[in-house]
Amino acid sequence: MIPLDFAYYRPDSIAEAVELWSQLAAAGKQPLYYSGGSELVTLARINQLVTQAVIDLKGIPECRRLEQQADQLLIGSAVNITQLVESNCFPLLSASAGRIADHTSRGSITLGGNLCGSFYYREAALALLVAESQVVIAGQQGLRTEPLLQVFDQRMQLLPGEFLVQVQTDRRMTELPYRAAKKTRQDYVGYPLVSVAMLRDGGRLRLAVSGLLAYPFRSAAVEQALNAIDLSSEQRIEQATAALPGPILGDAESSAGYRQFVWRGLLSEALTWLGEE
Amino acid sequence: MSIIGNNIPRLESQDKVTGRAKYTADYARPGMLHARLVTSPLAHARIKRIDASAASLAPGVQAVITGESCAHLYGQLLEDRPLLAIGKVRHYGEALAVVVANSEAEAFAAANLVTVELEPLPVVNTIRDALQPGAPLLHEQQALYAHYIPGVRPEPGTNVAHRAQVRKGDLASAWQQSDVTIDCRVQLPQADHAAMETRVALVEISPSGQVTVQAASQGPFFLQKIISHVFGLEMSQVVVKTGLVGGAFGGKATATAELLAYLASKAVGGKLVKLAYTREQDIITAPGHIGMEAEIKLGATREGKLLAADLLYLTTCGAYTDSSPTMAQAIAASCTGPYNVPNVSCDSLLVYTNHPYTTAFRGFGHEVMTFAIERAMDKLAVALQLDPLELRLRNAIRPGDISPSYEHLNASLVGDLPTCLQKMRSLIGWQSGQVVPTADGKLRAKSVACFWKTSSSPVNAISGVILTMNKDGSINLNSGVVEIGQATKTVLAQILAEKLKLPINRIHVVMPVDTEVSPEHWKTVASKSTYMAGRALLRAAETLIGELRNVASQALRVPPEELDVAGGKVYAVADPTVNIDFADIAHGYKYDNGNSIGGQLMARGSFIMPRLTPLDPETGKGRSGPAWTVGCQAVEVEYDPQNFTYQVLQAATVVDLGKALNPQNARAVLTGGMCMGLGLATREELTFDPEGIVQNAQLRTYKLMRFGEHPQYLVEFVETPQLDAPFGQRGIAEHGILAIPAAVAGALSVAAGVDFDQLPILPETIWQAKTGGEA
Repeated sequence: MIPLDFAYYRPDSIAEAVELWSQLAAAGKQPLYYSGGSELVTLARINQLVTQAVIDLKGIPECRRLEQQADQLLIGSAVNITQLVESNCFPLLSASAGRIADHTSRGSITLGGNLCGSFYYREAALALLVAESQVVIAGQQGLRTEPLLQVFDQRMQLLPGEFLVQVQTDRRMTELPYRAAKKTRQDYVGYPLVSVAMLRDGGRLRLAVSGLLAYPFRSAAVEQALNAIDLSSEQRIEQATAALPGPILGDAESSAGYRQFVWRGLLSEALTWLGEE
Repeated sequence: MSIIGNNIPRLESQDKVTGRAKYTADYARPGMLHARLVTSPLAHARIKRIDASAASLAPGVQAVITGESCAHLYGQLLEDRPLLAIGKVRHYGEALAVVVANSEAEAFAAANLVTVELEPLPVVNTIRDALQPGAPLLHEQQALYAHYIPGVRPEPGTNVAHRAQVRKGDLASAWQQSDVTIDCRVQLPQADHAAMETRVALVEISPSGQVTVQAASQGPFFLQKIISHVFGLEMSQVVVKTGLVGGAFGGKATATAELLAYLASKAVGGKLVKLAYTREQDIITAPGHIGMEAEIKLGATREGKLLAADLLYLTTCGAYTDSSPTMAQAIAASCTGPYNVPNVSCDSLLVYTNHPYTTAFRGFGHEVMTFAIERAMDKLAVALQLDPLELRLRNAIRPGDISPSYEHLNASLVGDLPTCLQKMRSLIGWQSGQVVPTADGKLRAKSVACFWKTSSSPVNAISGVILTMNKDGSINLNSGVVEIGQATKTVLAQILAEKLKLPINRIHVVMPVDTEVSPEHWKTVASKSTYMAGRALLRAAETLIGELRNVASQALRVPPEELDVAGGKVYAVADPTVNIDFADIAHGYKYDNGNSIGGQLMARGSFIMPRLTPLDPETGKGRSGPAWTVGCQAVEVEYDPQNFTYQVLQAATVVDLGKALNPQNARAVLTGGMCMGLGLATREELTFDPEGIVQNAQLRTYKLMRFGEHPQYLVEFVETPQLDAPFGQRGIAEHGILAIPAAVAGALSVAAGVDFDQLPILPETIWQAKTGGEA
């Protein structure tokens, strides 16, 4: 049960969506873009989300596209995780997004919702961060295309009224050797204590991480430490851990100490895999 | 062909699996109002002010009720719980106010407008804290509480809500004779029932004063009694209706939403009001599973014969007692586990803490008692350097032994645990070794644990059955047992079909229970429904057969004693060609000339628990249930010593169930129990912060077993009939849960080489134990 009364809009175009947002914002309606709606439902029913107007992006054709083009893979923000996984257009994305929430929820959670939503795990971002995808963002000034790495700092850094339209990924990246691993407290379905997505590109490891810190990240310093081939595995893991961009999270799911143990275990496996090339 | 012993599918399954079955929350009617709870954000606090003025003025709001406006106290035994907090709150999530509005959304929105001013009090967060001298008291007025049912012994001036004990034999000399002694301390967290259907009730009060309650309940007749008691009504004024219940596990055997829905309806002039708890409220506002700390001391001879047991069970009921004192009692009555221990001292204390309160849960205390005893037995086996299965076999309770409550046991009363253990030996492949390394560096480990349980019902618990015949000779079976997913009603149909030698499709089981028209069944709890209602049914069936013979005798001109029934006919034993169809006598027999005799054939049967005696407060002497069900369980885990993770590969139960009336259903019920036991062992717990706030009151974070995480389940039966039970079947509905947590802990302990004496056991738990927390 959602206690709020809110207006529902389903624009057919990007321009219409942006225009609606600015009108509704000006009228003090605290408008929200959404597509899958799972977060809207689950947070509103516990009083953690308030809005008077929602703008459904599922009616916008650009947000629904899922296409392999000659040189790039194009994924609309309103494509849901199940569609993504089943299309297997980017196997690393399938693997690392394929354990978001549970099967039923993945049928409504969308790529855009997972990237831009308020739950901080955002596991769909991991594969896109290591693949250095571009993101197409719509706003008052029209469309802008930016590297995800620039726009994603702990979360998507969008301006008020902006929304994610598409993600574009170089086809070459989608074909690189990959690996994803997710460790939870205990369950197959659950929040990650540590979730990693990795690509192996010309002997170098690219890695993005969720769960370990209070936000997902890809860190140049961590990757540099892991790729320091003149060092032993133990040293590389040590330095990668020292290079983490923030304190390791300790919460009801796990202590920080155990998260670090899990992290080191995953890195050890990652380095073994890297060495197999 | 015998119907008993056949795998008859559950009668209501088709409706359920097609989604057509209706549950209480599905019920709606134009004009129905909705209630919404306001709950406490703190675990222990003085209520300075609850301001409902804004909520009262909100759109659609019809009434707001707070504890100020209703001074009722509730308790199944000890009346210690206000329906809405009065003066202070004693746990996080305690109900503070109820908002009644035209729609669910309006009730919710208005509930957000109720403001509460609380002054925090020191929080009692653990059992040990509760028992500290000078600990903050949850109930300052404990001595003044009324007793709905006598027998609870609160200790005013402390947080002790109840104490039960057993003193048997001569413990002092038993210690002297013991060659080996071990100590074991265990700790188990509170948990949640997590039934799919949350607590829900609809209540309306007619202008003439009739109260109609639609409840998702295991105890509609209990509700009728308690509602009339709490609100000062005649029982005849209260009608409770219960249809299918979407999972209960003991959590719906008390009154929760029903009482508040009554207050809500009363506040709006008796209009129909629905109160459905949210999942979060179902976890923290409604009662859950007890927590426990225990200290077990066992003494044995060098040969592994148990001589002495000194047992301290400290359970917490959270903030209110509900039915937990009876669980403390049940723990005392079964305190040694299914082992013959001649000298026993047991203290079973129930303690208040500032946690959500607790009530019956599948196992009724035996699941926590079993964990403590079985962990201790594993330690004793290590100390004796004896195979843990062999140790259990040497001490298994047998006919001729005496229970902790001084009951002299025979085969009908206690079944055959040794045979269960022998069967388990081969079922789980015990011979291949308790710990076996795998090729990829993991360890496969097994452990076995035993259980026993009888019921702990009121000594005068009753059950009744009414049979009425339709014109075509088919039969309506009306029992007060609630269908909560356990299939008792299907088994009752089997019993009647068997007794009348009638095809089962000619029996219509009345699925809903309605206190207005159904005969009382005390409560659908305690794994005793088939036993109690089955006994009542057998009596009713005898009577109905007598009625059929009487009328048939006049129609066939054969003396009644020369007649029998089969296949929907009454026939002469000496010449079956002389017979008459049920259809020709069910609603009277008509002679050729039109004269008629008989009328509608119907019969009733009634049952009351036989020869039960409450436990003596000093010695524990007494008799709490009609017979024990014993068995053993085992699990096999695969443990990865590299990263401390594990998987449960197999979970097995061998139970002496007396007689499998419906083997497939018995397996299903036992498997469901095992699954719940695995949940408690591997993940389920309510977690609290230092202020007593529940950290995981959502299914996002309160984790349950899911499909894909299940091991292979194995079930085998031993059949030693319980002679006074219908066709000999013992209760089994709860038993699948009982020893699984201990078996998991045992297997992981031998795999990891560290003792795990608390639950749940997470990979982090093992990491902590193995490394001391070094990353």
